Amino acid sequence: MKEEEYQQMIKRCLRCSICKWIPQLQIKSQKYATACPAIDMYNFHPYSGGGKIILALALETGRIKFSEELRDIVYKCTACGSCDVSCKFLNTLEPLEIIMKLREKLVDAGYGPMPEQQHYIKSVKINNNPYNESHRNRLDWLPNDVKIDSEAKILYYVGCTSSYRRREMAVAAARIMNAAGVPFNILTDEEFCCGSPILRTGDTKTFEELLNKNINVIESKGIETVVFSCAGCYDTFKVDYLLYKAYKFRVLHTVEFFNELIDNGQIKLTHEVPLTVTYHDPCHLGRNAERYEEWRGDIVDLMPLISINVPPKPKRTGSKGVYEPPRNILKKIPGLKFVEMERIREYSYCCGAGAGVKSAFPEFALKTAKTRIIEAEDTGADTLTSACPFCSTNLQDGIEESGSSLKFYDINELIIKALGLKLYVLKDTKPEVA
Amino acid sequence: MVLKKEILNQFEAIVGSDNVNDGEVITNVYAYNWCMEIFNFMDGKEPSPFSDTPKAVILPAITEEVQKIVKLCNKYNITFKAQSTGLGPWNQPSTDNSIIVDLRRMNNIVKIDEKNLYAVIEPYVSGAQLQTEIMKYGLNCHMPGAGPQVSPLASATSMNGPGFTSPSTGHSARNVLAVEWVLPTGDILRLGSLGLKKNPDWYNGDGPGPSLRGIMRGWAGAKSGIGIFTQVAVKLFPYPCSTKFNVTGNSPNYNFDIPDFMRLYIIDCGSFKYLEKVFLRVEEEEISFICSHLSGFATMAIFANSIDNLMDKSSIGIMKVPIVILIAARTKREFDYKQKVLKMLLEELKLTNIIGTKYIPESIFYAEALRSNLGLHGFITTGGFQSTKGGCDTAAMCLRSTKSNIRLKKKYIKKGVIANDFGEGTWMSSYESGHFFHMESPTMFDQTNKNSVEGMAEYMEKSNELDLLKHLGAPFFVEGDKNHDFFGPYMMNYHIWLRKIKEEFDPNNIADSGFYISPNRNELEKRGK
Amino acid sequence: MGMTKDILYNKLAKISGSKNVSNDTKELEEYSEDMSFISGKRPNLIVWPSKAQHVEAILKLANNSNFSVIPVSSSSRYRHHGDTIPKKNNSIILNLSKMNKVLSISRKNRVVMVEPGVTFEDLIPKLKKKGVRLLIPLHPTSNKSVLSSALEREPITIPRYHWDSSDPLLCTEVIFGTGDLFRTGTAAGPGTLKQQKRSGQNQINPMGPTQFSPFRVIQGAQGSLGVVTWATIKLELLPSIQKVFHLQSQNIQDLLDFQFELLKNRLCDELLILNNLNLACLIKNTEQDIYELSNSLKKWNLIFIITGRGMLANEKISYLEGDINEIKNKLDLNLTSKNNIEDQEIIRVLSEPALKPWKMKLKGSYQEIFFLTSFERISEFISLVETKISQNLGIYIQPINQGTSYHCEFDLFYDSQDGTGVKRLKELFIDTSKDLISLGAFFNRPYGDWAEDVYKSLDDSIIMALKKVKKIFDPNNILNPGVLCFD
Repeated sequence: MKEEEYQQMIKRCLRCSICKWIPQLQIKSQKYATACPAIDMYNFHPYSGGGKIILALALETGRIKFSEELRDIVYKCTACGSCDVSCKFLNTLEPLEIIMKLREKLVDAGYGPMPEQQHYIKSVKINNNPYNESHRNRLDWLPNDVKIDSEAKILYYVGCTSSYRRREMAVAAARIMNAAGVPFNILTDEEFCCGSPILRTGDTKTFEELLNKNINVIESKGIETVVFSCAGCYDTFKVDYLLYKAYKFRVLHTVEFFNELIDNGQIKLTHEVPLTVTYHDPCHLGRNAERYEEWRGDIVDLMPLISINVPPKPKRTGSKGVYEPPRNILKKIPGLKFVEMERIREYSYCCGAGAGVKSAFPEFALKTAKTRIIEAEDTGADTLTSACPFCSTNLQDGIEESGSSLKFYDINELIIKALGLKLYVLKDTKPEVA
Repeated sequence: MVLKKEILNQFEAIVGSDNVNDGEVITNVYAYNWCMEIFNFMDGKEPSPFSDTPKAVILPAITEEVQKIVKLCNKYNITFKAQSTGLGPWNQPSTDNSIIVDLRRMNNIVKIDEKNLYAVIEPYVSGAQLQTEIMKYGLNCHMPGAGPQVSPLASATSMNGPGFTSPSTGHSARNVLAVEWVLPTGDILRLGSLGLKKNPDWYNGDGPGPSLRGIMRGWAGAKSGIGIFTQVAVKLFPYPCSTKFNVTGNSPNYNFDIPDFMRLYIIDCGSFKYLEKVFLRVEEEEISFICSHLSGFATMAIFANSIDNLMDKSSIGIMKVPIVILIAARTKREFDYKQKVLKMLLEELKLTNIIGTKYIPESIFYAEALRSNLGLHGFITTGGFQSTKGGCDTAAMCLRSTKSNIRLKKKYIKKGVIANDFGEGTWMSSYESGHFFHMESPTMFDQTNKNSVEGMAEYMEKSNELDLLKHLGAPFFVEGDKNHDFFGPYMMNYHIWLRKIKEEFDPNNIADSGFYISPNRNELEKRGK
Repeated sequence: MGMTKDILYNKLAKISGSKNVSNDTKELEEYSEDMSFISGKRPNLIVWPSKAQHVEAILKLANNSNFSVIPVSSSSRYRHHGDTIPKKNNSIILNLSKMNKVLSISRKNRVVMVEPGVTFEDLIPKLKKKGVRLLIPLHPTSNKSVLSSALEREPITIPRYHWDSSDPLLCTEVIFGTGDLFRTGTAAGPGTLKQQKRSGQNQINPMGPTQFSPFRVIQGAQGSLGVVTWATIKLELLPSIQKVFHLQSQNIQDLLDFQFELLKNRLCDELLILNNLNLACLIKNTEQDIYELSNSLKKWNLIFIITGRGMLANEKISYLEGDINEIKNKLDLNLTSKNNIEDQEIIRVLSEPALKPWKMKLKGSYQEIFFLTSFERISEFISLVETKISQNLGIYIQPINQGTSYHCEFDLFYDSQDGTGVKRLKELFIDTSKDLISLGAFFNRPYGDWAEDVYKSLDDSIIMALKKVKKIFDPNNILNPGVLCFD
């Protein structure tokens, strides 16, 4: 967000509290009306999307100074974008961008990121992953029987979390592509952190270094399509990278890719999966995975105080996120009964892990996950699924912590079941997440 | 002014340390509100969107905690300002010796009593939350015009009360049954049948004998100036049509399965005189769910979700004096009847409905109408608006008020300080099938533009003076000492009585009086304050 | 007393005119009792003001001279709640019956402005001529004050028009106990009434002025906070067709369940439940006829009326009936709709006043016990009362405030010449009232001796708050002292 736009927008919050709720027309019950995990957890108004806009204004006008108190409030936020969707139903503010800009300013002022986040950023710089794991072990997830084609034009970008923590997801994705007869490559020792957990803390400088490195590597290999099973990596490449640097390859999430393969018959789902499943829309696959559209129009003054954009300026409202492909997949799995939660699609309730919250504020992340687990249980489902390893980890932590009997599978694991293949089972009991 | 540590500790002991904050960051955010810049300028201050900063913000969870907080305020002579969803400058402290009691944690729907047609809610239950729960019983609630995201409790006890569905759901103040009220002294007052020691219940808020609802509020509420309301029973109404509420697609361009038996009429009445006739004729038939007059421009706005797509609704914008009528029914025979009535009226009055011919709204409009989300459309043109006027009596008075405002408003439009709605920007709604009407003049301004803010403030004051001069009823925002002392002498010296009420019920002047009334200074001195 | 009776007499005569003051013993005696069991004191004088300025002057005098004032709206012989009987010595009766102008009727704005002396028999025909009607209690007495009925929050028989518990009362002009004149709601201004009229107003918004609503405080106060010198009252349009329904059942719950659906969906106008005796009392005139009709009816009778107006009146009736039948079929209740009573008779008692209280027809005298309660507790309270009072008991259940509560009324009929009977009845009246109060029946109109027990049954904070209100509006307690909880 440009500084000029930021300075103008932070003066325009109406304090209407719309940002605290999912879009008013989508509210179906009292229980599942709220949108913002931060204010749901901490209750004070500054924790809401609008509250953080006012924080920005208070800072810019000198009413408050940079401080740890300010920092903590700004970082106690998963940057899920729910406030952004709700606000933009009628407004033209950019709450999420303002929050991210505020984080950048905290970083510039030496107050951000949070110490725990600085710890993992350091790990990324040294080990190319935030988990303090050796870069050499990045490929340990790869089973011997998975076929990799080093000439393939399709690259499977595994991501740090799937590589080190949610290996079952990586294995599932790889096996599905093998089963579909789709040749794919992987970056062996040249796969580095996408930078998502760094960008979300406001450290855009480190992020920019990473993205340049990653784009160069991929383009140098003549890759035409990059497939991600991690929503975070996917969103970062699809949306954020383009704000800094253009690239030529196509990006797809596995749900998009596998949905296409199911539709064209390359993946045949033949085995019954007798589960009642509900799907959690990851923020980075849903509302945040909408590209910025360039607008080269004019602001035309119609009359004093009223101006319009000619042509109309596109507004990122989360409407172009990836919502149908995972649902199509689930509906096509034989024997599987699909039920929806109340907060879905662009107004899905965040799992609680994103933007460095899992590291810096684990109790906040966990409480949010537990809230989401209750919502999943209320659908009558026996299984929760999603399409992001970060959501996967936090939601499974939530299941365990709350003693829920819900099962959790990544959506690719459900495809594996429907293909009649065996699931990879994690040998670790409780992997640590950064 | 900073809260002393020993006082802070006592607040923490009541609500827990996680639920009190006196830090610079949080308290400064609470100092901000919509339109605060206008009110600051009116008070002779810089047009900043920040009020005085509260000393602390406290989040109670139950009534007993609220009571303890209030008692502590009395003990240490600190004023309190209560808020729930907190939209508007009326939520702001008026001194730097104030704390904000944020009622966010009091968010229960305590009871839905289907058989007695009311619901009991706490302050942080939103209109949409309440509506979705009572729809399960085929019931509906009155939603304040500010939108479904705000608190019906706040609207019923402390704020104003008009709504888009007022023809069928009345006014917030008239829908109140029993109330639980923490007085500024810290005593808990439970009105009506709720005050029974044995078998208290929520069905009635009056008496025995005189009704204390008359002390609680008037046409406007006391905006925390007479205590904190922790629970209220609000009347419920039949849901106007099928309760199936299916919204698909993605924000903001949702699709809505329009219920059977719902129909919109937008009719150009051509003149204000004829509008009055149409309003009265339609409302006498008791058929409308929504019946409002908006200017052509504002009518365009309710169908748009941005300034950009507002502009393609010129077929509405060219209407001189539109009336918006939405009918809804639960059965086909009811629907057929209502349509017949309107057809007959349109023929009789020689009017045409443009819906279906010149304009077909997106289906989402109907969802927004049912959920009372139309008021927020007022923000889409300039990002800021506020209403002047607010009188409520007959349709004739409302229209006279509208007409008399045009010249004044055009003056400020010409100065370029408020947006051009040709001076006719009005929202006028019927209440209780046309028994009374209110009008207000939503005026768009730019809250980031100093000239616009100052111009808007000046226009608001002039508009108030005009209401006084032309006897057009008291506008909404006659609150605060300055306005009460100004209007009072022209209105039966009501301010003297209101002040007595304040003195009796808040002897220590602990409930923030900024948007209510202060006690008499002599009285305060007499009590050694 | 600050002055002698003679001096007071002269002062009052100077204010209201000598023809409008009385110290006649017989007349004074009439005000020391009414049809209730409450006994009181004899007033010193009666004065009939004819304008608000007289009332102002009288109340100011009362404040300065330390006598109390009991406002009475009419010269009706049928006062029966004890609220106008002086409780203390040294009082005068302020009889407002000569302030009896219908100040204005507006068909367009559906409002009438009346002085306190305007009665139902005065007003109803005038309104009928203009095509409008009052929202009235059940078959009120002809010479009852319309304004007073609204001030007392008497339940009206059309719950769907009962939007707020204060309806049909709108704006008022009131002289507070201090002697200050005030106008409530939009009548407060800005502007005089003439100026308001020029700006198109009609004093129909009762709320305010600004941040309080004093009209609510005066309502239900039994004249102890202010004297109302005019009020605007809400009207509705006269229907052109009325269709009467009379359903009977031995089981009140069936009728309650059915009427709930009518209420919820706003399908009818008049809606009430009466036991057989009360319905018979309303319709018939002699004891014999009353008993005969009563015995021919089932115990419980639901009366409701659907209406249509204007060119599409029949269409409206048709759709309402259709919807109602659908509900009836869905509920599948065992309800008799045999008509023992002509529709016109029912319409008559629901739209016209009675020459004298209809409850007098059976035995000559009656006492009423009434209170508010919720839907669920109606049957419980009926059982309690029926256990204690088995004979000559009329029961009237009126949903109010659009169905959010129910006025429950028990009418005890008796012969006042029967000394033993009267004594027994008085005991029953007191006992039953006490039992009801102790079980949570909400006596929101606590007349006479009820007041003490009623206020004891409430949180102290209510009494404290009400006393503050009294202190504001009648600090010297000159208005009807002894009522409610102010002493």
